[in-house]
Amino acid sequence: MEELIEILEELLPGEDVEHCTTLIDDHILNSFGILSLVSEIEEAFDVEVSPAELTPDNFNSAAKLWDMISRLKEDN
Amino acid sequence: MEYHLLTYSLLFLPIVAILYQLVPARFRWLVLLTADYLFFWMVSKWLIIFLLIATLATYGTGRILAYVTEHSSVKGKQLTKKKRWVLAFGIAITLGMLIVFKYLKVFGLSLIAPIGISYYTLQTISYMTDVYRGTIKADTKLARIALYLSFFPQIMEGPISKYSQTAESLFAGKRIEYNNLVSGYQRILWGLFKKMMVADRLAPVIFKIFGDYEKYDGAAVAVAVVCYTLQLYTEFSGGMDIILGSGEIFGVKLPENFRQPFFAKNASDFWRRWHITLGVWLKDYIFYPLSLAKPVKKFAKKIKGIFGIGVSKFVAPTIALFFVWLSNGIWHGAGWTYLFYGMYYFVLIFIENITEEPIGKLIEKWHIHTNKLGWRLLTGMKLFVIINLGELFFRAKSVAQGFGMLGKICTNFHITVIGEMDFGLDNYDILLSMAGIFIVFVVDILHEKDISIREKVASCRLPLRWGFWYAVIFVIIIFGAYGAGYTIVDMIYAAY
Repeated sequence: MEELIEILEELLPGEDVEHCTTLIDDHILNSFGILSLVSEIEEAFDVEVSPAELTPDNFNSAAKLWDMISRLKEDN
Repeated sequence: MEYHLLTYSLLFLPIVAILYQLVPARFRWLVLLTADYLFFWMVSKWLIIFLLIATLATYGTGRILAYVTEHSSVKGKQLTKKKRWVLAFGIAITLGMLIVFKYLKVFGLSLIAPIGISYYTLQTISYMTDVYRGTIKADTKLARIALYLSFFPQIMEGPISKYSQTAESLFAGKRIEYNNLVSGYQRILWGLFKKMMVADRLAPVIFKIFGDYEKYDGAAVAVAVVCYTLQLYTEFSGGMDIILGSGEIFGVKLPENFRQPFFAKNASDFWRRWHITLGVWLKDYIFYPLSLAKPVKKFAKKIKGIFGIGVSKFVAPTIALFFVWLSNGIWHGAGWTYLFYGMYYFVLIFIENITEEPIGKLIEKWHIHTNKLGWRLLTGMKLFVIINLGELFFRAKSVAQGFGMLGKICTNFHITVIGEMDFGLDNYDILLSMAGIFIVFVVDILHEKDISIREKVASCRLPLRWGFWYAVIFVIIIFGAYGAGYTIVDMIYAAY
């Protein structure tokens, strides 16, 4: 989780990424940001994120992102 | 039949609503489906067969995907490959029909297309892809798929909805509530206001100057371009008000297609507010899959090795963005102007993406307050020019005409001639269209501030409430651009 927070902080400087639950709803993360994040996540956690995973629900908060990463790790 | 005609809102829609309400809840979906197919038949006659083929192909593909997922002896990548073939076959059928009807004219063969084929085809792809991805379950009821693809208020010009947004409520057969009925018709009224007070009134200016621009001064050409942008906005968003209002009556919440686009910060933001459902579709079914495609990611990795992450982070999104805007242009039709329009926004949004970071740093360094009125006016004006330039080429008969008109504006612009020009409108029409534009602008400001006029009016006392809506009705009846001397213009986006 710490590594994920670091990635988010680097990508979204100045945002309270640890507690924010509206990263998508409040347009803090746009589609370009999502893709940068996906690329970092894939490299850091050795998972493959498919287009089906790119839903607002999965990307709205760090906790939701971590759930997705854990699930993808299990699937691997 | 088109949505802005009174035969729709005062005849077809109320008859369907009454029949829908009269029959038992479990048969209401049948009333809707009959109305959908009757509406389709009235416009496109025997071409309805292509809608039926698309419906069966969509339903069948979903069912086969579900069967393959549950019963296949293979798993993992092999299963994905198998499913991908099924999806490709389904898409080939529905997309193939769209290509035949829409793009064969490139080879000199021009066919009359079934209404709404550009819209319902995107919905078929959306449903099949979502089943393939596992984000929705394949529907076991053919009727629900048929309803989802053919809902009569949205068949002609969208919005492009996802199965998860509308299918369930279309099939549910909920009774028509008084509040929904009133609120739906209020929204329909607002749509008629935009169409009849502004869009149709501006039409003569656009026909006249776009049809023969060489004869006019650059200032007149600029006026025609601005009029076209305003016509397109009031006509398309007005159409959406009628469509969404119709849906509301039956308790069906269709997705919004506009969100005050002229208040956007830049071109990217504009496209998050203009024809929203097309943008969402292109993002979900072209932008993301292409960005995450293995060859694209591999290429981006190569670039990272050579130029570093500063450059490589733009590679995958830019490749995908190119195809998004290529598709956007082509979707509007088989014409060079549409392709130019798509590429115009691709270049603009690409520039915005790569300059976002350095501009952000400069804004910080120079202590510019981006919330201040001056800055917002400046960026607003810049965006208005960008939008109008795009619409100029979008409406022009050819790219050459577009450049010809642009040349006129840049090299032969005399603001003083505007007062002497004959735009095909008398002073009465000019005054009313300006009043209409002003009202639309004020309403957009209120919506931008999250103020709902319908809710505000609903909270007033009964005489004031009804007085307000009667006033709107009489304004449209008395001042609307219809009858002798006016031409009711066909819905622009129904032609795409």
